[in-house]
Amino acid sequence: MASGIKDKVAIVGMGCSKFGERWDCGPEELILEAFDEAIQDSPVNRNQIEMAWLGLFFQEQSAGKSALPLSISLRLPNIPVTRVENMCATGTEALRGAVYAVAAGACDVAMAVGVEKLKDTGYPGLPERSKGTFDDLWLPNSTAPGAFAQLATAYSEKHKKNPKDLKRAMAHVSVKSHANGVLNPKAHLRKEITEEQAMNAPMVSAPLGLYDCCGVSDGAACAIVMSIEKARALGLKNFVVVKAMQLAPSNGLEMSNSSWDGSYLLTTRIASERAYKEAGIRNPEKEIHLTEVHDCFSITELVVMEDLGLCAEGQGVNAVLDGKFDKDGKIPCQIDGGLKCFGHPIGASGLRMTYEIYNQLLGRAGERQLDSPSVGLTHNLGGHPFRNVASVSIFGLI
Amino acid sequence: MSYGILNLAPYVPPMRLERGEIYGAVGWAVPSLKGLATGERAVANWDEDAITMGFEAARRCLSSNQQPPSRVTFASTTFPFADRSNSGIICSALNMPSSVRNEDVFGSRRAAVSALVRHFETKADGLLVASDCRDAKPGSAQEMSYGHAAAAVLLGQGRVKAEIIAASSIHDDLVDQYRSRGNRFDYALEERWVREEGWLKTVPQAIDDVMKAATISTENLDKVIVHGSSGASRSVAKKLGISPEKIANNLYSSVGDAGTAHPLLMLAEAVKHSKEADLILVVGFGQGADVVLLKRTKEKLTNDWDFELNRRVVKNYTQFLSLRDMIAIDFGLRAERDNRTALSAFYRKNKEITGMLGGRCTKCNTLQFPKSLICVKCGASHSQEFESLANMVGRVKSFTEDWLAYTPSPPYIYGNVEFEGEANIMLEFADFGPGQVKVGDNVRLVFRIKDFDDKRDFRRYFWKPAPS
Repeated sequence: MASGIKDKVAIVGMGCSKFGERWDCGPEELILEAFDEAIQDSPVNRNQIEMAWLGLFFQEQSAGKSALPLSISLRLPNIPVTRVENMCATGTEALRGAVYAVAAGACDVAMAVGVEKLKDTGYPGLPERSKGTFDDLWLPNSTAPGAFAQLATAYSEKHKKNPKDLKRAMAHVSVKSHANGVLNPKAHLRKEITEEQAMNAPMVSAPLGLYDCCGVSDGAACAIVMSIEKARALGLKNFVVVKAMQLAPSNGLEMSNSSWDGSYLLTTRIASERAYKEAGIRNPEKEIHLTEVHDCFSITELVVMEDLGLCAEGQGVNAVLDGKFDKDGKIPCQIDGGLKCFGHPIGASGLRMTYEIYNQLLGRAGERQLDSPSVGLTHNLGGHPFRNVASVSIFGLI
Repeated sequence: MSYGILNLAPYVPPMRLERGEIYGAVGWAVPSLKGLATGERAVANWDEDAITMGFEAARRCLSSNQQPPSRVTFASTTFPFADRSNSGIICSALNMPSSVRNEDVFGSRRAAVSALVRHFETKADGLLVASDCRDAKPGSAQEMSYGHAAAAVLLGQGRVKAEIIAASSIHDDLVDQYRSRGNRFDYALEERWVREEGWLKTVPQAIDDVMKAATISTENLDKVIVHGSSGASRSVAKKLGISPEKIANNLYSSVGDAGTAHPLLMLAEAVKHSKEADLILVVGFGQGADVVLLKRTKEKLTNDWDFELNRRVVKNYTQFLSLRDMIAIDFGLRAERDNRTALSAFYRKNKEITGMLGGRCTKCNTLQFPKSLICVKCGASHSQEFESLANMVGRVKSFTEDWLAYTPSPPYIYGNVEFEGEANIMLEFADFGPGQVKVGDNVRLVFRIKDFDDKRDFRRYFWKPAPS
């Protein structure tokens, strides 16, 4: 019987570029910036990397399709490279490919790189894209804020939350991430905001205002992984290992059947349940020490806290306002600023989250270091609440 | 058995523009328009055209009809397509069997009445749809007087609401106004000349032909439908010795002149307000005249309408120009989106997209849209049969007003709509303004333009929830 991924693969080197509006950089420069840091952090040299995975979402807007953007920009020695894309879970998918390759014994050392160059489109927000020849004929030409705004309206409806109270809790989510972002030199947005600013900001897609939305950033992140045996053979003692990597894409139920009421993220619930099982976690509220979740919008983070079982269903507003997920709270969330302030270069985001967990677990997070956490969780939600790909990964020490 | 109108229905878009608003914007240049600047005119929303309005009238006309008509005739001078069957799109949206005959008729504002004459003369049963969405030059008299609307009549033998007694037709190439192919706007000639030489010569002659055929005198007429200006209809009445109160209201103050659709639109109103045995005369004018004489029967009308239902007022003249694509507001880079339609994919999914057919699982009875190979609920394979959602009442489950996404009428409103407490569909809304949608609202589906492809001069249609 399959035993899962727990304690089979070590992350031995990570790097992350500065995120932001990197007008001076193309995808090549961003990739190299993350790669250089990761390779120096690792016990191997570039020629020891045997396989690589590249995560890139909007290939039309930046580097193009296939393995080539990574293979060419790093001048890799013709090793196998696979480009993966799974919307906002793309970076995590690149890591999953590398981790599985090592766990399968196909290679000893593998690399995952995620990159996105979004600021060559000429306008703010994400580029428009086709949804496919059939879906374009009938689905609304929605934007991400418009889709996630409905999570907020359905959530207030379901839990009978006064929209004002929900808006205040959403503001708290953003205020907290801004405060965390200030402490992160690589973050895109490094400015504190107040609850009033967040609540009174211009409306983008009701009830989501400007400060309920994450940044659109350029950036790249990189991870080098190897088998635990290899890591030990190289003399590594204190290292981060993969405890679980789970993925749950929608099968269309949310969008076509009313059994889903729009107030929660079905796939996040499924992926987290599987991940906890894979990692052997029984009580996530106690056993998860910090999270980096997909806070594309403030409402998403609030609802995800419930879907991950980190607070009871319908209690998100209270838990957020009580500071449970603040820097000094019980389970800090987005200690690096999150998508909200670190930024959201889509293909890189999953690996950026892993980068923060990695540094926190190794005690190298500088000014924002938490008190000796040993288990961290990352979560991505690619797509929209009604049709998406959710990933939940858990990392720990061995 | 008597032949005539089995049912009829008008459609006037809910959007209105006060003519004073037009005058306020263009009066500095054309002060003579002041005399026309009374009341309001109907305006097609940005996602309406002759097809969508014609379809709406057609579906209302057929609402109580079980059997599909054997033919569909669609009359307009503003067909969106010069080479693609416009009536064919209406037939698809109505889910008509493929054996239903269909044709487009055009070329004159009297095209619908011409078609009515021909139906009568051949005793053909069928659905006759007329719709016009004429845009006019800013500052023109037509901009004031035109309105956008549609009407449909179901013709045949049986329990008719109005029997057709006689008809006549005259062709006469008096060019009172014209629009050449490729041009968007009408070119109109002096109204006094048109009245003297056209309305007061051709129309009385055609009416005279009908009265002779029916051996009835004009004094016995109860309602006379003349679709031109009030001046024209008054002159015609005077010339024929018809008392002014028998001239039907030309709907200038609430709708405006709807071109090809206008005679049928006025006919619908006249029939609605008539009593048994009333004699109704309908005139179609434009390079000749068609005249049809009808007699109201005792059959009750089975449908009703209210032009004021869900009425919305266009905020100002600039918004009107923008909704009608007469000025190019800078909607930003998102408006540059390429909306190429994969027509082979569209053809494969024609029933879903144009017909609004979902799938009902024969194993677990779950309704879903789109119809899929594997049931979303029970997982059965190839178990779904087509079922129309077009006339189901939807309930808004969630929605948003999106100021970021591109739409010609911001904000872009869309959301999840539930049908029969089971099927959930994410849809773009129509005819709602900001602050007008609420979770739990009931909505009905309307057939509208989904996207324009400006690069290839194409438009695609789909269904949208609108106020019920």
